[in-house]
Amino acid sequence: MLGLILLACLAASLVSVGYPMYVIRPFRAQGARELTAALVVSRYRGMVTILSAILALGALAAYWRAQPRKWRRILAAVGAGLVCVLAVAARINVFELMFHPIGHAVFADAAKSKLDGGEKVIAVVINGQARAYPIRDMAYHHLINDEVGKTAIVATY
Amino acid sequence: MWTREVDGQRLTFHLAGINNQNFIMRDEETGTYWQQISGLAISGPLKGRQLTLVPSDELNFSTWKSEQPAGTVLADVPKYVSDYAKPDWDVRMQRMPTVIQFAEHGMQARDLMLGIQAFGASRAFLYDRVLKEKLVKDHVGTEPVLLVVGEDNQSVRVFRDRIPGIDTAPDFYRLSPLKPGALLMDASTGSEWNFQGCAVSGKEQGVCLERVQALKDYWFDWRNYNPQTTVWGK
Repeated sequence: MLGLILLACLAASLVSVGYPMYVIRPFRAQGARELTAALVVSRYRGMVTILSAILALGALAAYWRAQPRKWRRILAAVGAGLVCVLAVAARINVFELMFHPIGHAVFADAAKSKLDGGEKVIAVVINGQARAYPIRDMAYHHLINDEVGKTAIVATY
Repeated sequence: MWTREVDGQRLTFHLAGINNQNFIMRDEETGTYWQQISGLAISGPLKGRQLTLVPSDELNFSTWKSEQPAGTVLADVPKYVSDYAKPDWDVRMQRMPTVIQFAEHGMQARDLMLGIQAFGASRAFLYDRVLKEKLVKDHVGTEPVLLVVGEDNQSVRVFRDRIPGIDTAPDFYRLSPLKPGALLMDASTGSEWNFQGCAVSGKEQGVCLERVQALKDYWFDWRNYNPQTTVWGK
């Protein structure tokens, strides 16, 4: 029974982390249904994996005391360890690891900017305040949470 | 570009995934997932809600700077500068594979176009053709529009081809050679107009044309979200 609990925790964690990674990965077409399912799994994976980790560690402790064979104990410990690793992995945003969000954006006056005149920018004017986002930056960071003309916006590319 | 307030709640977005090569964003306040191109909530507590579009332009920096000398520009993050898009980024992107294709209207998946979603219709304008023509008079739905290429020969703006307050159709043509600060002449009123769509001389001086939002995008992405789109330029 304890072994089954461990296996269930491992399976739940693997699905929670692995399924969204499988579906939502670059250079693969996403179907509407699988994307919907993957996003639902993504929403709950943090909670599912942490509960699985707690349950797996509890089951491991009980299993360790009850199981006389050393190799089975070690196997159970590896499984519980993997569940814990998956609980950490579920909290890592791979896309932000790749494209690094801009936490505190810095803006330069147009006159002082050293940007080449031929560089392309995405430009907005809100309540009289003008802001430009160079595409060379946006093509890397992809989005920035900003405030222009007292309006909260998200600039995307 | 979208506003990031829904029902008075300010949202903070993060990159969260990809949907057929268009980014998915997630807001940290509600955990809702949003599609970048459409601003639509596709999963989570706010599913079905729509962010409000913020009109934007894609311009050459020199053009923007001349129009907005008091504006501010996002500075590079020094740590990541070496990873930023190189000058030949556009060319390299043209060679990248796509995961969806729409072999319609003679378009290739990576053809760059200007997409307009307005007046109850959507229409894609082939970007290179627009640059070549410099002034395009066309329709989106039943509404006449003008696509105008700036003096830098790279930036494009779109306007409704109607002069506010005048019932008769205008007759715009491109000045040749261009005058400083003026690109177009309207034969019907004898007024000259700048790249911001405002008359700088003549009877209509001070009047501005209505701007129409256009999105520079690849054909496959535009067509994926605009299945009824028509195409100009092929």
